[in-house]
Amino acid sequence: MMKDHIVSAYDAQLELVNSNLIKMGGLVEDQLRNSLQSLSNKDTSFAEQIIFDDHKINALEKEIDALTYKIIAMRQPLANDLRVVLSALSISNDLERMGDHATNIAKRVANVKINLPDAPTIEIVKMGEDVQFMIKQVLDSFVKKSDKLAIKAWDSDVNIDDSYLNIYRELLETMAGNPDTITGCSHLLSIAKNIERIGDYVQNIAEDIHFIVTGQALERKSEKRINWEEINQ
Amino acid sequence: MNKIKISAKNIDVFYGDKQALFDVSMDMYEKEVTALIGPSGCGKSTFLRCINRMNDVIDICSVKGNVSIDGHDIYDKSIRVESLRESVGMVFQKPNPFPKSIYENIAYGPRIHGIANSKTDLDEIVETSLQKAALFDEVKDRLHQPGTGLSGGQQQRLCIARAISVNPEIILMDEPCSALDPIATAKIEDLMSELKKEFTIIIVTHSMQQAARVSKNTGFFHLGKLIEVDSTDTIFSNPGNQKTQDYITGRFG
Repeated sequence: MMKDHIVSAYDAQLELVNSNLIKMGGLVEDQLRNSLQSLSNKDTSFAEQIIFDDHKINALEKEIDALTYKIIAMRQPLANDLRVVLSALSISNDLERMGDHATNIAKRVANVKINLPDAPTIEIVKMGEDVQFMIKQVLDSFVKKSDKLAIKAWDSDVNIDDSYLNIYRELLETMAGNPDTITGCSHLLSIAKNIERIGDYVQNIAEDIHFIVTGQALERKSEKRINWEEINQ
Repeated sequence: MNKIKISAKNIDVFYGDKQALFDVSMDMYEKEVTALIGPSGCGKSTFLRCINRMNDVIDICSVKGNVSIDGHDIYDKSIRVESLRESVGMVFQKPNPFPKSIYENIAYGPRIHGIANSKTDLDEIVETSLQKAALFDEVKDRLHQPGTGLSGGQQQRLCIARAISVNPEIILMDEPCSALDPIATAKIEDLMSELKKEFTIIIVTHSMQQAARVSKNTGFFHLGKLIEVDSTDTIFSNPGNQKTQDYITGRFG
């Protein structure tokens, strides 16, 4: 258990960074969940609401930025405190990007006027749910300051990459089989890419959490690599 | 890593019945700055004073263990304390120039140690010492005015000039900037980065940021024990000991 600082206002500032990051993470979770729901239900008015909601995430990022600058200027944090403060900047930046990707999904749902093919949509939503679980894992690891949980979240990304590749292949086949589906499938490809990118940001955050907890950079390689030969066939 | 200049082994220090240092062993390297940090009363200044046998002047103080400089035991009976202090200079928390002129402040040491034979030699030593202490340009037109008339930061640089006038190998600094404003502090720190090219510097400081800025290695003392000594980078970014981490992040109490 970490001891309190002699200056209690310092603890209060660090706690505010901590709680804002958790709050921001929660909003990003919601943003992705809602986007996926609007995608499955083809609910354009809900999608509009989601697009509007993105500003809350952006505002929190600005708040965390301002707070961390203030802490650095006022307190000159060292050791674990310094790692928390620097990582908070990077984590909030990544969460903000994740929010943008989730919002992009809603933007397509709201603005694309043609029907998106059902079967790949279901696959994509499934992949999105897996990414949501990763977000939950990584936020848990942040709350518990657990490098083991962070590594678990990091490792999950390989499954997302696999799913993305399968969806990519499937969409190419659908487009090749029926050129009428090209527009719809292209939109779905972009959505799948948005989700895949969110997984990458979860990995970044997992690396930051590992650094906060251990003071060491996370040196890890994905188990599987994309097989480009297979893709080029 | 440079060669070991000072090696302390199993140092115990007692003030009467009270033990102030417990089994401290630490190596300090040539032409590097080593910082000693820790809360008040932790023994860091006591340890510093073992290096030039300043503790000898306190009657009730006794030192056990071994301190060697370049492999020679400085507590050996054959060692003359005067010549030890010639090679190990010291700068204190409060600037303490002699109540004499700037010139005399610096000329005093070389004169009593017999380093200078003529007035020309002395003039040269005074000038180079002041230059090395980055003070010459500010005082060159008033060398014969009292040293005590200088500003606090200038007085401290005068004390540094006085310390280096006898060609020491080691300079001990006991919180040299704690009585100075940030500008004077910055000048001393800037000076230290020059001085370390020529001298081995050991600095006791209460400013964590200062230790982080000026030193290559840092030792953390607590309750008379050396808790951890490591590269300054490690001590301030990822220390090995929980007590060190609590102290440098302001969690002690």
